[in-house]
Formats: sequence, structure tokens, C-alpha cells
Amino acid sequence: MTKVIAATLVALALAGPANAECYADYKAKKDDPLQLHYGVAQVSDGNCSKKAAAGELAPRLAADGWTLLNILSTFGPEGLAERKASAGAYFLRY
Amino acid sequence: MPGPISSVTDSLKTGNRVVTGGIAAIVLILFGAALFLFLNLPDANAFNTRVERIFVENDDLRTGAEIKLLEILAQSGTSFSEVLTSYRSVIFVLLVLSTALLVAALVFLVMIIALNKRIGAIQRSGIQVSSLMISREGRAVYINDLEFQLTEAALETMAVLAEARMDDDVLTGAQIEAVISGRNEADCDEAAGATRVKRLRDTLGNQLVSELLVKTIARRGYVLAVDKDAIRMI
Repeated sequence: MTKVIAATLVALALAGPANAECYADYKAKKDDPLQLHYGVAQVSDGNCSKKAAAGELAPRLAADGWTLLNILSTFGPEGLAERKASAGAYFLRY
Repeated sequence: MPGPISSVTDSLKTGNRVVTGGIAAIVLILFGAALFLFLNLPDANAFNTRVERIFVENDDLRTGAEIKLLEILAQSGTSFSEVLTSYRSVIFVLLVLSTALLVAALVFLVMIIALNKRIGAIQRSGIQVSSLMISREGRAVYINDLEFQLTEAALETMAVLAEARMDDDVLTGAQIEAVISGRNEADCDEAAGATRVKRLRDTLGNQLVSELLVKTIARRGYVLAVDKDAIRMI
């Protein structure tokens, strides 16, 4: 039992530092009538490239009726502050 | 007179061919024009896609106000697209109308040509009997509303010939005499019937010519009822 707990702790400890927190800012739209928004969303670390982030974000946005247009960039936590004002209501919403 | 009649029907046939071909051509051309027009009219979403492209291509467009502005632009474009659909229906109605007008014009044109040919044929064919009415009570025959008085015997011959014509029969002199006198055909003389026909021709022919050709003007004299330009001396 202690072994299992130890193993999970080790796993968590390994996962913790590896999770560098990747974010992506994107543009999305809704049709009829045309609605646009610019937003910031967190993506999992493995999907930190633009292409992978798009693959992860598209279904999340689609669940709410939005179509992902493009990913502008991916960045770490240090880039959040400068984008918060622009993203507005869509800051870390999806 | 079989000659002119067949030529008239021939011209009618070619006229019909021209009409069907012309209508097909008109409908085809206007249908093509309509198709071209409708395909080239901007789509209702053309404006939206343009706005969307601007949004995607410019990374700087990301603040709420800018995005709102883009959305308003797209909405004004969409309202314009509603105007476009109304234009589309107006254009469609106008095209249908012009098709109908062109078809009508073609039909009338061909009709006028056919009628002209027909009138020419009628003018050349001389007296064309379009109605023949025999009135036993008035002892008269009405040919094209012209009244001709006949003797009792001539009227009888006329009636016999008319009945035979309605049955598509051709009568010999003896047969005519047999029908009128009520005797057996074998007992009748061919010459007797021929005389009856000759008398009918004499009285009717005289009146016809005086009505249609050599007119009598009361207390003045006689005149030919022919157009001046139609007369030629050889």
C-alpha cells in the first residue's frame, strides 16, 4: 500500500515540474450572424505546438458552437498578463 | 383550287417549325442568361467571409472594440445580402416577363407572315366561297353574304347539287333530272339534267358577274368593279 502511494507521489512529482503550463491565443467565429472573438486558452503541455494546440482547442470550442479560425501563438504563463485585456470575456474561458 | 391551298399549308408548316425553333432558342438563351446572372450574383455570405479573412489575416485585430466593429461591418453586409435576394427575385420576374414577351412577339410575327401569304393566295385565287346558304322560302342563294335571286327550278338544281356536295357525291345529268323530277334514273335523259345546270349557271353566273365584276350604277351606267392598278392590256 505504501508502495502504491509512494509511486503516485513520485509520478505526481515528476509530472509537476514537467507541466510548464502552455497557453494559446486563438481566433474563433460563429455564423449567422457572424460573431468573432479573440481568446486565450490553456492547452496541455504535449500540445504546445500551434498545430497540436489547434487540434485540442477546436473540439472544445465546437462544443459551444464556435469554429476555430487560427492559433496566433502559444506561450507560457509569462504571456498571460499582456493578453488578458484583449481576450476580455474569453480569457481562459475554454 | 388545290395549288394555292397546299402552298398555304406548307407555309403554315414552316411557320410552326420557325415558332417552335424560335421559342426553344429564346427560352434557351434567356435561361442561360438567368443562370449566368444568378451564379455571378454575390453570395449572401460573401461579405462575412471577407470580414472573417480580414480578422484572421491581421493578428493585431484582437481587442473587443475592434472585433465588435468587424461584427457590425459583417452585419451591414448581411443586410445588404437581403437586398440582393430581393434583386434576384426581381431579375427573375423580369426575365420571365421578357421571355413571355419575346415568345409572343415571335408567334405574332410568324402569324403575320402566314396571314400575309394567305391573303395573297386568296386575292389571286379569285372568288373564294366561304359560305353558301340556300333559302327556299326567299328563293335565294347567299354566297359570302351576297344575295342572288333564283327561279324555282334553278333553286331546285342548286339544292340537289349542294346536298350531293355535302355527301361528297358527283351527279350526272340524268341523276340530277331523276332527283328533281322524281322519276327513275333509267327513264331520265342526260340532256335534261344538263339543261337544268345550264339554266342555273346562266341566272347565277349573270348575277355573280354583275355583282362582282360589271356593276350597274343606277341612272348612271356600268362600271368594272376592279382596281385601276389591276388592269393591264396586252
